[in-house]
Amino acid sequence: MKFFVSLITTSFLLFSGSLLAGSHAKTIMLSTKGPGAGNPFWASVEAGAKDAAEEFGVNLIILSPPQESDVMAQVAQIEDQIAKGVDGIAIAPTDPNAVAPILDDAIASGVPVVYIDTNGINDGVTFIGTNNINGAALAAQYICDNVPAGSDVAILQGMITQTTGQHRAEGSHKGLEACGLNIVAELPANWDTAQGMSVTEDIITGNPNIKAIFASNDNMGLGAIQALKNADMLDDVVVVGFDANPDAAASVAAGEMSATIAQFSYNMGYMGVENALKLANGESIPDNIDTGTVLVTAENAADFM
Amino acid sequence: MSEEIVLEAKSISKFFGKITALSDVNLQITKGEVLGVVGDNGAGKSTLMKVLSGLYKPSEGSLFFEGNKVNLNSPRDSQNLGLEMVYQDLALAGNLPIGDNIFLGREPVKKMGPFNFLDHKKRKQLTEEHLAKLKINVKSADQKVEELSGGQRQAVAIARATAFDAKIVIMDEPTAALAVKEVGKVLDLILNLKNLGVSVIVISHRMDDIFSVCDRVMALFQGTNFAESTLKNTSRDEVIGWIMGKKD
Amino acid sequence: MDKNQESTFVKLIPFFEKYGILLLILIMVTVLHILQPDVFLSWRNITNVFKQVSWQSMLALGVFMVIVTAGIDLSVGSIIMLSLMGLAIASKAGMPWYVVMLVAPAVGFLCGLFNGIGITLLKMPHPFIMTLGTLYIFRGVGNLISGGVPITGFADEIRVIGNGKIKLESILGEGSREYIPTSLILMIVIFFIFWVFLNHTRIGKWIYAIGGNPGAARAAGINVNRILIIVYTLCGFLAGIGGLILAGRTNSAYPNAGLQSELDAIAAVIIGGASFFGGRGTVLGVFAGVMIMGILRNGLNLMNVSVFWQQVLIGSIIIIAVYIDVLRREFSTRK
Repeated sequence: MKFFVSLITTSFLLFSGSLLAGSHAKTIMLSTKGPGAGNPFWASVEAGAKDAAEEFGVNLIILSPPQESDVMAQVAQIEDQIAKGVDGIAIAPTDPNAVAPILDDAIASGVPVVYIDTNGINDGVTFIGTNNINGAALAAQYICDNVPAGSDVAILQGMITQTTGQHRAEGSHKGLEACGLNIVAELPANWDTAQGMSVTEDIITGNPNIKAIFASNDNMGLGAIQALKNADMLDDVVVVGFDANPDAAASVAAGEMSATIAQFSYNMGYMGVENALKLANGESIPDNIDTGTVLVTAENAADFM
Repeated sequence: MSEEIVLEAKSISKFFGKITALSDVNLQITKGEVLGVVGDNGAGKSTLMKVLSGLYKPSEGSLFFEGNKVNLNSPRDSQNLGLEMVYQDLALAGNLPIGDNIFLGREPVKKMGPFNFLDHKKRKQLTEEHLAKLKINVKSADQKVEELSGGQRQAVAIARATAFDAKIVIMDEPTAALAVKEVGKVLDLILNLKNLGVSVIVISHRMDDIFSVCDRVMALFQGTNFAESTLKNTSRDEVIGWIMGKKD
Repeated sequence: MDKNQESTFVKLIPFFEKYGILLLILIMVTVLHILQPDVFLSWRNITNVFKQVSWQSMLALGVFMVIVTAGIDLSVGSIIMLSLMGLAIASKAGMPWYVVMLVAPAVGFLCGLFNGIGITLLKMPHPFIMTLGTLYIFRGVGNLISGGVPITGFADEIRVIGNGKIKLESILGEGSREYIPTSLILMIVIFFIFWVFLNHTRIGKWIYAIGGNPGAARAAGINVNRILIIVYTLCGFLAGIGGLILAGRTNSAYPNAGLQSELDAIAAVIIGGASFFGGRGTVLGVFAGVMIMGILRNGLNLMNVSVFWQQVLIGSIIIIAVYIDVLRREFSTRK
């Protein structure tokens, strides 16, 4: 009856109990927006964090909500770890506004916080991440250099409610406009491959002369490529993504995706842990740490696969 | 048996969209009379009863309780006028105990400030008294109806119809699912009610039921009045013929 | 099973139906205390768990009442978001805090009323369909009125319900940091009120009757449509209160608020022992179901277990809980 349920729960909890050893090392929590298993971007953030933890002798706790949209799960995870006792938190906030109160609580309890990847709103908290506006501008420049002036172009936005989404949309829009291209569509596909595909299908149906698409992340870019393939238009359209995840890098190497922007997500994880540790040790750190971007084309795609 | 008419239905028609379930049906019953209603499946017997109880509104026609024209908006209205019904499908909530079913919609309450709260003790007490009066044997008044046998459930449905000093009790196929001994108890109960001056309408397809307790029998056929007689002036064969639509 | 075994088993069922779930919680708490001795039963952690489940418990309670009528409300996650947005807009418009606080439950009330009227008047074949529609409609409206961006920053008074603390310094001495979260008090008060409503009033009884046999309810003169409208309205109202709690907790009306929370609410209700077929379940069971999910998540968080395992476990518990319900029906219903 209920005993079977409790039996299973109990045996599972016992089976999964894993207590980290080490009483003198500092404990740093890495809170990402989504699991590394679902997104190579977070996987590489986690890899950077783990390397930093090993190098600096830190107990690293990695937690993320099951979906990037599950804000309350991230809040709960931070709450629980504060109760358990962490010395620092490196967080990519799912919703900067909604997690602000719990981060204020953390700071008030003496637990320092750094943002990685996405900037938050709490005062005095360092941001470690890509300058997304610059990165998107880089992508826009590539498009400007590779399609005739006045051509039709489109932008696939991420979750426009997130600053990352807003900055990439902003940076690309400014850049494309500045070199005289005609932006025929700017639509959200919420970082998702399937949505990227269906939004692109709609865009190319209405705009068959389109010459370039900037996708705010690689997942959407890969979806766009699929849509263009189905419409036999891939050879005529320049597709630029953002993230330089391995799938995208392979696509660039194979000549399908034209280019992508590499973030140094590994750096975010590494520098996030490194700087959270510095704060935990009482050192001070700069307000803003740019982890950098670089254009990835067929020439250097192999480095990112 | 007095001649006072307690319930009269005049020219009742009931349409469900294009389907005519009842057409210009008349029924009347006097105080202390037991009226049998027969008819084949689909003749309109249950529909007519639901019009009498207020569960359905007639499309045409009127109802008269004790000589006064009434509009029934819900079964509550007919209950308030003294009409109780035992439905063919019993209309019991299996997930609720016996007492809850008997008092469903009319639960005893106690007032506390501006609120009415259920009086659980009173409900249980009244239930136990009533079940004892009817000599219904169950393990406890708190037993859920779904735990009871078919015969016990039927008894609960009948108990509900007899718990509120009804003037008219309608029973739709009250013996259909019962064992022989239990059938006898129901028929005895009907006669008891008659002796107390309660009018009873019994729908049944069993001639034994009709011919052992009814004073008068009427037949519906395809939604209309087909035939009618006092029991003395008719026979089983004739009534069976009515059900099949045969008349001399 | 032979007759003897069966009757003992059957005799034990009512006992387990009422108290088995508390036993389960006791076991979980004990196990987690053993695995995380300094943390799990700490004041901070326990209050965390209550704070974390408080808004979800409102959704679960509302959905519970709906499920008792053999219905479902898939839109509660969206109602909580829309009521949160309404509150935020009222706050930014400069309305006084006591009005702003009332906006959230009022919006929830209206959403629930909309659901109830749609289900009854439009004669939808099942509430699943109406509330599936409003799941999208309510969230869409919430995004429209907010422009799809979060609205942040509420007055402290508004945040009291979700974020307030009642310090226990007067009892435990100066400098003690223990407190009782206001949201826990609210949760207890509301659960108590609804326990009284469902178990000690006529309408509460009729809600169970409708779930058991709507025809019987009608025959008893109960206005089934009216009761259903009341139930869905109350469900929306409770979701609105959940929105008020979220406002306190996150200080932000964000677009993804309550996303997929309807599933968690349904899970808590089912784990708590309510029957999906309607007519069965207790308020205490809902509270327990909510606590079980909260404790489970908290325990696995403390132990750094991947959230994927949490999902697998919660899903398994739902199926087991329903299977137990199936067994119960087999044994207690005479055929």
